[in-house]
Amino acid sequence: MGNEPVTAAMDCAELTRSIDALLDGEFDAREQVEAEAHLAGCGECRTMADRQARARNALRARLRAAAHTPAPAALRARLEQALARERRPLWRRVLSPVPVATLAACAAGALVVLASHSGNEALVEEAIRVHHRALPLEVDASAMPGWFAGKLDFHPAPPHFRGDGVKMEGARLSNLREWPAAYIRYQLPRGEAGLFIVDDPKGRFDAPGREVHIGPQVIRVVNARGYNVAVWRDQEIVYSLVSDLGEDALFQLVRTAQAESGR
Amino acid sequence: MFDLRQNDLTRDEFQELALKHIDPLYSAALRLTKNDRDAEDLVQDTFLRAYRFFDKFERGTNMKAWLFKILTNTFINRYRRSVKERSIVEGSERDAVHERFVSREAADFAANPEQYFFDRLLSDDVLKAVDSLPIDFRMVVILADLQEFSYKEIAEILDVPVGTVMSRLYRGRRLLQKALASYAVVSGVLQLPEGEGEGSIDLESYRRRRGKSA
Repeated sequence: MGNEPVTAAMDCAELTRSIDALLDGEFDAREQVEAEAHLAGCGECRTMADRQARARNALRARLRAAAHTPAPAALRARLEQALARERRPLWRRVLSPVPVATLAACAAGALVVLASHSGNEALVEEAIRVHHRALPLEVDASAMPGWFAGKLDFHPAPPHFRGDGVKMEGARLSNLREWPAAYIRYQLPRGEAGLFIVDDPKGRFDAPGREVHIGPQVIRVVNARGYNVAVWRDQEIVYSLVSDLGEDALFQLVRTAQAESGR
Repeated sequence: MFDLRQNDLTRDEFQELALKHIDPLYSAALRLTKNDRDAEDLVQDTFLRAYRFFDKFERGTNMKAWLFKILTNTFINRYRRSVKERSIVEGSERDAVHERFVSREAADFAANPEQYFFDRLLSDDVLKAVDSLPIDFRMVVILADLQEFSYKEIAEILDVPVGTVMSRLYRGRRLLQKALASYAVVSGVLQLPEGEGEGSIDLESYRRRRGKSA
């Protein structure tokens, strides 16, 4: 009892069981000394510790390489905006945050129309939300052919919009709620548009909004949050085009694609 | 009562201290939520809450750990509705006490120079393997192996005892190695024989025993 209880206290089983803590540098000074004393005299444990150390380091390095993802620039920007808003005095926060477009949409009754439907307007709202966040594109237009292959379990054939100054910018994988979607962004003469393509074999994507006939096609139009959204279906594929175009210009744009697909 | 009094100097300090941790927070949030939309929301919520509670932050303590505590809390609160996953974790953690189920084969393979397979795995497979871990294990693996927090810091972040951190980390790592090995097998990188069951973390009981005998 009165002896110094220091060396060779750790046996093989103890060392094996606490190998993670040893390698993670979590041993206290005395445990460290005891572990080293054991390792110095036990070749088997040295081999084990060495292998475990290599496994640990390889795993950590691989994990970090795979998982490190810089925050998107859009998130940073949003955050800085949000923080700037927070630092404003309370009375200004109360008065200022509603965008004019939203007020306009409310005044026009668009939000009321949305609210009077149940269920799927959420998907249109989601489309607006995702589009509005302007997440970075994963592929630009030139590299797009074939890019979606194997990434989605359906084939998202993008429609061909025609018109002066309408240009496909690029695409990314996205999702509307739990539905995987292809997202394609277009540059327009003024502003831009985002097209979501989802696979809907069971007809669940029943968009709300007004029905408009364009050629043989029926599209639905929703106005919300300052965006006009056109939704149409081509067999099992549902297209949702979110844009800040006026309705007429939006119909015009959709019509060019309909003409194309009706070949 | 109103936070009007908090001056802009404090706020500038917050921006300087906190925003530089955005990348690690976002990387971790992605692995928790498994999709970029929720990850962005989670990070934004985290910063806004941190900002509002900045007066509770003790200067000179670990800002990154504090932010991660808010991140994990926010995540847990928001996703508490998915009770299913949590109860499965609790069940498997209980099992771990009784059966020594953890396999060592993946670690042995990884440690074997000819069979280094981690490096040859696709990043997507690595991430899928992480994402497949039950949430409680995933959290400690993220905090320890991705963010390099100490056991003590993790215990504070997750508000659990250090012993719990150790057992979750041990199990989480072995589950991860197992998952990685299975991806490696699928992709032909590795051939996996039957391994024997082994091991559990026992530093706590070792310490207790040492404490008594000393």
